[in-house]
Amino acid sequence: MKKKFSLGKVATHAFLIVWLLLCVFPLYWLLCFSLKDTQEIFNGNLIGLPTQWLFSNYANAWGAGGNISVFLMNSVIDTAVTLCITSLMGFMSAYGLLRMRWKGQKVVMTYIMMGMMIPMHAALYPLTETLLPLNKTYWALIIPYAAFNIPITILILSGFITNIPYEMEEAACIDGSGIFRTAFTIILPMMVPAIATAAIFVFLQVWNELLLATIFASGKVRTLTVGIQQMSGQYQTDYGSMGAALVIATLPTLVLYMCMSGQVQRSLIAGAVKG
Amino acid sequence: MKRVLSNKWSIAVFVLPTVLFFTYIVIIPIFKSFYYSLLSEIPAKVGDQSEFVWFENYIKMFTPGRRNAFPEAVLNSLYYAGLSIFVQLPFSLLIALILANGVKSESLYRNLFFIPVVISSVVISLLWQRIYKDLVPSIYEIFHLTLPKNGFLANKDTKLMAVFLPSLWQFVGYHMLLMYGALKSIPTDVIEAATVDGAGGVRMALRIQIPMIKPMLKVCLSFSLIGSFKLFDTPWILLERANKSLPALSMYVEMFSNHKYSYASAQAMFIVFECLAFTVLLNILFKDWDGFTLRRGRRRLAA
Repeated sequence: MKKKFSLGKVATHAFLIVWLLLCVFPLYWLLCFSLKDTQEIFNGNLIGLPTQWLFSNYANAWGAGGNISVFLMNSVIDTAVTLCITSLMGFMSAYGLLRMRWKGQKVVMTYIMMGMMIPMHAALYPLTETLLPLNKTYWALIIPYAAFNIPITILILSGFITNIPYEMEEAACIDGSGIFRTAFTIILPMMVPAIATAAIFVFLQVWNELLLATIFASGKVRTLTVGIQQMSGQYQTDYGSMGAALVIATLPTLVLYMCMSGQVQRSLIAGAVKG
Repeated sequence: MKRVLSNKWSIAVFVLPTVLFFTYIVIIPIFKSFYYSLLSEIPAKVGDQSEFVWFENYIKMFTPGRRNAFPEAVLNSLYYAGLSIFVQLPFSLLIALILANGVKSESLYRNLFFIPVVISSVVISLLWQRIYKDLVPSIYEIFHLTLPKNGFLANKDTKLMAVFLPSLWQFVGYHMLLMYGALKSIPTDVIEAATVDGAGGVRMALRIQIPMIKPMLKVCLSFSLIGSFKLFDTPWILLERANKSLPALSMYVEMFSNHKYSYASAQAMFIVFECLAFTVLLNILFKDWDGFTLRRGRRRLAA
């Protein structure tokens, strides 16, 4: 490879840096206005760093006016329970579908994978009927979230689970272990990285979901996405608190991404087939 | 051993709960939706039954009329798909090629470009709302430009573009990552052989790299297409309520604001059919592309 300082290289970097700024600037801007008060923004300090760092905006959004803490808790509960369900059911059915041997396993696999191609718009109205008794509970969101994310979980797990040698089961079987013990104490620990990959993908889907949340999450069980969207209506004039709410809503995903960017990227590549 | 892995009871325990759950929550509602879409509207009087009207709702959906916004909504979503395919994807591909061919601090760029993808589209939309309402006007002021009437989000001519821009921007990182990953997995000896044969830069990209990541390009294309038909979050937040300018919005408004369940179900089914149709179309196109290059290759060999 040639290595020299050239005009082309400078242009390339300039291009990349411009796009980089366009990617990161909105975040910087958000962080800044979450620490300013409305007065400051309207007096012309639109882009610069805040003159006074108003952490009171965060306190305001968190409890007093904004109730972000409640929404955050709701999102955490919904996401956590959904992940438990998709991981457990995903693992069990991936094991049953791809590891065990029976007639019709391909048919069942195709059946579940077909569900992945169909957008959830299609099920929306009948779902409101089905889930009516659960209205205003966490389950009204958790159940559809889990059901719609099981196929992609199985798909992500399938790539890993078929690569584990069958000698594992054979050895366990000879040692007198039953199928459930084999699956949960021998295969499951080996599947942890794959389950994590799937879980990160599902986490991002569920945490950021809006369409179902606007329908099924009302009252006390509103999630972050619905909550901040409604807040933005009330907080037209209080930019600072709104900004703070947005930062709080973004923080969990952003921290996750910063801690394990490689893993998050792998997850999203693995889940891309979902469309 | 084989007996253990084929035990019907254990298979049922592993698979059956998921299948039943999935069927009850995903599959049955879809068929119900289709059934509802064939009914007339639920009558206001209690006790009256809706009638079976076959495809009347579908016909109504596409009957041109001043008050029927659905055809335009479909056109708008195709417009978004076009922008996504002809602007967003080539742009992402360009970035992916630059990064994959090795620049300084390649992974830093990649990690930062990807940030918008992990942020909720609700946050992104609310952020862009502020950008349109505060930041852009002040920039316009500096350069003494005139703003579109009513602002970007309410003006008839700029509205659509203003709504599309945030999600186009947000997902460049995703497409870039997918293409970058595919480019990186091209075996190095292929690249080396091409370099020895004198291919460099643009020729390498067009003749070797892009053809070799075709499967991933297909994934990106279907992602764009399906995403454009399903687009909901950004327009839902950025446009005023009861806006029906995109299929998913139209469906939502008809369903939950106007309570026209059958008509809305027909629109929902249309979104599904559209997604499936385009998936099939992409499969055919890409098969043809393979066939085309193969044939050309053979002809060259014969010559």
